[in-house]
Amino acid sequence: MIRRAAPIDVLGGAVLALVAGFSLILLVAPSLIVIAVSFEPRAFISFPPSGFSLRWYESVFANRQLTDSIQVSFYVSLAVTGAGLLLGVPAAFASVRGTFPGKAASNAFLLAPQMMPGMVIGIASLFFGAYFAFRASDAMLILALTVFCLPFAIRISMARLAGLDPRLDEASANLGAGPAETFARVTLPQLGPALVAAAAFTFIEAFDNVTVALFTSDVRARPLPVELYYLVQYDSTPAIAAVSALEIGLSFLIMIVIARTVGLERLGR
Amino acid sequence: MAADAPKHRTSGWRRILHGRGIWPAVPALVFLFVFLVLPMATLLAFGFVTIDRGRVVDGTFTLENLWKALNDDLVWRLMWRSFWVAALSSVFTLFLAYPVAYLFAESRGLWRALVLVAVVSPLLTSALVRAYAWLVILGGRRGILNQTLISLGVVDQPLRLLNTDWAVLIGMTQIHLPFMILPLLAVLAERDRRLEEASLNLGASRTGTFFRVVVPMSVPAIFAGLALVFAVSYTNFIVPQLLGGGAYATLAVQVYEQTIVVLDWTRGAVLATILLSTCFAFVLAIVAAGNRLARWNEAAA
Repeated sequence: MIRRAAPIDVLGGAVLALVAGFSLILLVAPSLIVIAVSFEPRAFISFPPSGFSLRWYESVFANRQLTDSIQVSFYVSLAVTGAGLLLGVPAAFASVRGTFPGKAASNAFLLAPQMMPGMVIGIASLFFGAYFAFRASDAMLILALTVFCLPFAIRISMARLAGLDPRLDEASANLGAGPAETFARVTLPQLGPALVAAAAFTFIEAFDNVTVALFTSDVRARPLPVELYYLVQYDSTPAIAAVSALEIGLSFLIMIVIARTVGLERLGR
Repeated sequence: MAADAPKHRTSGWRRILHGRGIWPAVPALVFLFVFLVLPMATLLAFGFVTIDRGRVVDGTFTLENLWKALNDDLVWRLMWRSFWVAALSSVFTLFLAYPVAYLFAESRGLWRALVLVAVVSPLLTSALVRAYAWLVILGGRRGILNQTLISLGVVDQPLRLLNTDWAVLIGMTQIHLPFMILPLLAVLAERDRRLEEASLNLGASRTGTFFRVVVPMSVPAIFAGLALVFAVSYTNFIVPQLLGGGAYATLAVQVYEQTIVVLDWTRGAVLATILLSTCFAFVLAIVAAGNRLARWNEAAA
């Protein structure tokens, strides 16, 4: 049955498309503007940029404080990713395949950190450390960020594990493979893409985090987001745009990794 | 006996790797107990004791700090601002997010992939970088929006955009938009369309069907999104600080300042406790309202 669109539907469709278009532009435009202004040749930001220059990128890499903070962020995030996977993947196994009493409570507890604002996790870690005369440091930052990021690693692994057929493992066992062999040759390869996605997501969440890091990071070895946080408030150099553009590039790489492993739609569940 | 031993070991391995036990989760559970539960307990406790140079003075349990904070007009004013900023920005995100999610559910192929990239890429970009982007756009003398408006001849004097409620609302709304879109995407893309087809076949307009069938069906996802965006906005202290200016304070900003700038940890702990508990209360209220509306919808249908 072919029906002619009613006037109200033409109007409704137009409003819907207009708002959706506006939202999509609103989502991506700010990042694109930051990338554009990072190529500004002059000492202040203008849009569109008055020319094309890489001088602010050079200034970022010539700035010892910034390169040091990038380094801190990299190795802290790597440590958080490692800890998150080591704790999170086995936990996801128990959460999906386990049949123990109190499983619902255990699952809720494992995902509890995502109910906590980063600031509260950061302050709580700072106070807890202070109680034992343990100062804000790389170690405290790594521990607090692992708490903050653990639910991401667990959720991505859980989603994939829930989609696996346990009968494949049983078939492997019936064909004579031991549990370790079954795990290494049947379960792990199927889980592989999810582990890569979980690692990528954990890494970028740790790398980008400012709310936990402001309270737990070492004052003499600030991670990049904390360094930027102070820089943004007291300075307006286009170098900040250049660092930001680099961060946007990194998050784009991470997005490609997630898209090619578990798919971007997975992040919505 | 000898034949039993290896078999027994195998089953032990199996229990750990493929078993149904809690064991694989134990390291994570212990880790969270030590590094989340104990710190949270410390945070809570710090509000009720006297602290001298980072050390707790023994035997000083007191309700005075909490009492003082609850009798402080400033705390209530800040809470009120945190509340309405979070409430407004969650409603804004809903209006902006719903059409995107709906369009996504109706689209195919490349268009669908592009929408997904537009939604996910900001989610993976640092919130600080995104707040900075708004600083550049709304900026002071050289803000991009003012430059554009002046060169287009829309205004001749730069508008005061930064350090206003609007700047904070715009930043919060844009930064939290993906949190609202993603739950809606999942629900709208996988919905059962038979009811809509029935509605259309019975002569209802598409617009009428949208409001009477599609929107009511997505009520749980709408309220899940509202609760999430409310919570992250209510506790966000970065956006108010950067876009609201130095004098702009919310409850979350005050918690940050007491802890890091003023170094009054007792007050910081009390305010953080108030922030967290009121946040949970508001979120529970939003979820309860959503459940009620969903039940009412079912009863009406």
